[in-house]
Amino acid sequence: MKELDLLKKDWNKNDNSFAQVSEIDIYKMIHKKSSSIVKWILIISILEVLLWTCLSVCFNSDDYLKTINHGELIQYFDVFTYFNYGVIVFFIYLFYKNYKTISTTVSTKQLMFDILKTRKTVQYYVWYNLAILVVSLIIGFIIAFVYNPEMSILKDKIASNGRVMAISIGFLIFTTLVFFGAFWLFYRILYGILLRRLYANYKELKKIDL
Amino acid sequence: MNDNLEHSFVKQLQENQNIIHKICRLYTNSDDAHKDLFQEITIQLWKAFPKFRGDSKFSTWAYRVALNTAITLYRKTKRSINTIEFEGRQHFLNDVEYDYEEEEQIKLMYKAVYQLNDIEKALIFMYLEDKDYQEISETLGISEVNARVKMNRIKGKLKKILNP
Repeated sequence: MKELDLLKKDWNKNDNSFAQVSEIDIYKMIHKKSSSIVKWILIISILEVLLWTCLSVCFNSDDYLKTINHGELIQYFDVFTYFNYGVIVFFIYLFYKNYKTISTTVSTKQLMFDILKTRKTVQYYVWYNLAILVVSLIIGFIIAFVYNPEMSILKDKIASNGRVMAISIGFLIFTTLVFFGAFWLFYRILYGILLRRLYANYKELKKIDL
Repeated sequence: MNDNLEHSFVKQLQENQNIIHKICRLYTNSDDAHKDLFQEITIQLWKAFPKFRGDSKFSTWAYRVALNTAITLYRKTKRSINTIEFEGRQHFLNDVEYDYEEEEQIKLMYKAVYQLNDIEKALIFMYLEDKDYQEISETLGISEVNARVKMNRIKGKLKKILNP
């Protein structure tokens, strides 16, 4: 291609046309903070992990269980709490390990893959917590209905009236959907802004090798 | 990190800074963005420098880190890749005299290259820098054969942009 050859000739001639950055300025630059997307992902991820870990640790069901005073249930919940701590530690380790593998000296495709993998680890952690939250809510409702004496009046009312039951179930489903919808939207916007270009470029690179 | 390492880095970067300028020229469209990207690449190069063993040339090593930063790590919200501030950028053309037709063709070619996407720009950049297909494929993480195929497609795309 003739034009490309012309461009190449011009490209290599133009070396002296850039305003040169002095050594002093380079010294200054290397002490400045990076504003790369990896750094943003790290900050957001740490906030997410902290938030969910706090929620999961702080959400204490002991007091509630004590009022019900059901020994077997308390035992189950203790096992679950330890399991949850284990999962939190595992996720933090996985995230740290993936974050550490991000390096600018690997190939572009590998770098993108590593960044997306790190991001996904946190995403899975959030999903895990959401799932736990939903399961806890359902179990909570069941326990409330079955074991909590204060609920017996309401229980009778719902059981005897089909309409009240339908409304209750409908309300529960609606709340869950709104909650998940808001969550999904938040994620779309946040990571859409941050990772749109990365996804597009990753897709383009993968397409070349198809 | 010790002062010797810092000194060695700054010296080598200063000598090889045109590589970074060229990448900044390709991936940014204003002087501010150029400076911003230059700084981010410098920071990333410095971060990766302890891993640089010296078994390849500094410039060869810097290519990969700089390109990776431009394509993957750099984030500038106000960036719009398709807007070209052409007239304001004197360093596109050398002071050496051109015949007008050739000068015009080169200008159009730069404009066309600006319309390519990030990955295509990276291929063109390495082509202009006389890198062989092995290095291009290793840098981007694609196969050598497909790098060639893609390069031919880009040439076709450039032709189309020039002669719509």
